[in-house]
Amino acid sequence: MIALWYGILAFMLTTYIVLDGRNFGAGILHWIVARNQDERRQVIAAIGPLWSWHEVWLVGTGGVMVMAFPRLMAASFSGCYLALFLILWCVLLRGISIEVGGHMSDRLWQEFWDAVFVFSNVLLAVLFGAALGNIARGVPLTGDGVFYLPFFTNFGVHGNVGLLDWYTVPMSLFCVLILTAHGATYLTMKTTGAVHERSVRLARRLWVAVIPAFVIITVLTWFVRPELLAGIALRPVAWATLVICAAGAYAMVNGFRYQREYLALLGSTFLLFGLLMTGAAALFPVMLFSTTDPNLRLTAADCAAPDFSLGIAAAWWFPALILAICYLCIIQRHYSGKVNVSKDNQGLY
Amino acid sequence: METTLIDPAFWHRIHFAFTITYHYLFPQLTMGLAWFLVYWKWRAFRTGDEKYNRAARFWAKIFGLNFAVGVVTGIPMEFQFGTNWAGFSKYAGGIIGQTLAMEGMFAFFLESAFIGALIWGEKRLGPRNHFLAAVGVSTGSWLSGFFILVTNAFMQHPLGYTVAPDGTLALSDPGAYLLNPWAFVQFAHNQCAALVTGSFAVAAMGAFYTLRGMHAEQSRLYLNAGTLVGLIASLLVAFPTGDSQAKMVGAHQPATLAAMEGLFQGSKLADVTVIGQPNISQKRLENPIPLPGALSFLAYGTFQSYVRGLDEFPKDTWPDNIELLYYSFHIMITLGTIFILIMAWANWKRWRGRLGSSTALLWVLMLAFPFPYIANSLGWMTTELGRQPWLVYGLFRTEKGYSQVVSAGDAIFTLIGFVGLYFVLGLLFLYLTGREIHKGPDAPTTPKRQEVPA
Repeated sequence: MIALWYGILAFMLTTYIVLDGRNFGAGILHWIVARNQDERRQVIAAIGPLWSWHEVWLVGTGGVMVMAFPRLMAASFSGCYLALFLILWCVLLRGISIEVGGHMSDRLWQEFWDAVFVFSNVLLAVLFGAALGNIARGVPLTGDGVFYLPFFTNFGVHGNVGLLDWYTVPMSLFCVLILTAHGATYLTMKTTGAVHERSVRLARRLWVAVIPAFVIITVLTWFVRPELLAGIALRPVAWATLVICAAGAYAMVNGFRYQREYLALLGSTFLLFGLLMTGAAALFPVMLFSTTDPNLRLTAADCAAPDFSLGIAAAWWFPALILAICYLCIIQRHYSGKVNVSKDNQGLY
Repeated sequence: METTLIDPAFWHRIHFAFTITYHYLFPQLTMGLAWFLVYWKWRAFRTGDEKYNRAARFWAKIFGLNFAVGVVTGIPMEFQFGTNWAGFSKYAGGIIGQTLAMEGMFAFFLESAFIGALIWGEKRLGPRNHFLAAVGVSTGSWLSGFFILVTNAFMQHPLGYTVAPDGTLALSDPGAYLLNPWAFVQFAHNQCAALVTGSFAVAAMGAFYTLRGMHAEQSRLYLNAGTLVGLIASLLVAFPTGDSQAKMVGAHQPATLAAMEGLFQGSKLADVTVIGQPNISQKRLENPIPLPGALSFLAYGTFQSYVRGLDEFPKDTWPDNIELLYYSFHIMITLGTIFILIMAWANWKRWRGRLGSSTALLWVLMLAFPFPYIANSLGWMTTELGRQPWLVYGLFRTEKGYSQVVSAGDAIFTLIGFVGLYFVLGLLFLYLTGREIHKGPDAPTTPKRQEVPA
């Protein structure tokens, strides 16, 4: 039961990052692929209708975390206090910039909200990347199962670590890179004209750049937590997620080669999904690794609510997921294909 | 425990109080407006009359702005359980997490899937599906309210739990937890109060346009719908929902009831004070104007019922801000009574067919719309201050709930951040809402979409 909920939590967080990751990527590329206001409205419209649906996955992840792993929620959120509020503020600013940017056709107004949009998306990608780096590297847990993570200490990966160090900074940059590539792939599918041309070119180059970056990150991870890579080799679940990665990469390459943009997006989605789930499988059963003393780590069983609660929750979670997928199918029909933006249209979508 | 200005508990409480109070300004309107939208979409769908569509379109824009601010200010609420209230999450997360997770999975997915379709998708969806989108969003917003109120009801009147060996709470009876009677009474009271906010806003808009001599047909629609729903909702807030809520407090939180009324010594024939200032150190009310026996009657059903006073409870179980609790409760009650009077007056005029021609009434309706917001906020302050000094009533004290690793300095820093961000957000919201009101419901609809030239 605990393993099931570990899987559900990993699934929800991964789904959030994969879905909202394309918005981060589109936001990072906003000024690069779109050079004038018409083009920028197109980018915003590409992510506009569904951003709140994507963000709900983040809220849902928070809810599931407090329900299934109350100790994890308590330790990690208070321990990363300031970084977490930075994320929340960026989420807030990003949402506002999408909602109000199109409300007026004033040039200054739109340029201002475009800047907020880019800034908050860049910072979100950086912070989520750093967060993943910290999960992999571990946090300075003390004996009571709590910690307080400063932004930086001595940039080392052992002992009294900070949020940023020589492992988490490259990890963060890697996440920015791969999410940007993912966002470019999404824009390739949704846009037309000059934005489309630039997105295609960028997406190809970025995905090529991801390959050496991925090798570097894997090597760094081997230096920081060698047991993680060994864990992948020993765990059949991780083999399955690696197959998903491979299938995703194959689909994406084919998608780009034959200009089947939907296939390319599907491929990049599965590639990201597979990578993150492989990470989750490698970490199991440790939820918070301790950099100060490996014996102080918190495992899923340490953090979990009693089996009875988890069983009750499983009984309603799966029907709820099916309902959510039904909603998605209904609305997806209305948002499929390329976006249309009218210059006169004050609305976003 | 004496709270001081360097106490982290104080700052964590202010942090949550500020962000939740601000957040709830927006959902109360969306929950109140939701069924107006559904009604107008339904009328438009059945009759094909364009005026209902125009009304729905106009209010959907106001709804959309409120919804967006509600979403972005709501996300930090969920995460504050972990960031600022780690002790509480660890202690009760296994139980309250159930409904917090259900809210995300059942309510938010539904709402956020259809909100875009409701606000912008009218042409793409056609009248029937657009009506269904309105139903989806409305249902989602009320479901979300229900799950949050079940969560709050557990904190007020815990049911369905056991204490695990490590001292934390574990769910033992999901039925008792989800069907907590406190949750149903509070949900009914709260949703009626949201309808009061919604209907006063609709009526105020109608009054504003009528006084300006604009949008005659639309403003008639708003005045009629707003005053009718307003009267029904204002009455229901008081009776039976508010009345049951007070009885519930009397039954399960007697110290809170005594503090709400400033009743220091218990008595039969206990008074409700219309006006009066509590003096805690002297243990009395100053300048009171009492209604003899009213409290006994309201709380327990007869004038002869004995109501226990604060003196009969240990001092460390008294709510820790009796003055603020007392004023919150009394101002809420007073405002609620005024709402009934205003709406009764408006409905009398409507019945006589003179709703649109009574200038005095229109002015009152136009200026009245902020007060339901105040009453709603004060109602929640009564609930939450009344629960003190407990986080989970009778089980877990507030001072144990906050995050021990987060200093007062961190909490003040993020509080300042929220105050600043929310101030700007408020200005932005008022400005954009003002623009929509200025454009009005009869503004030409946005022209048809065109392809961007490639």
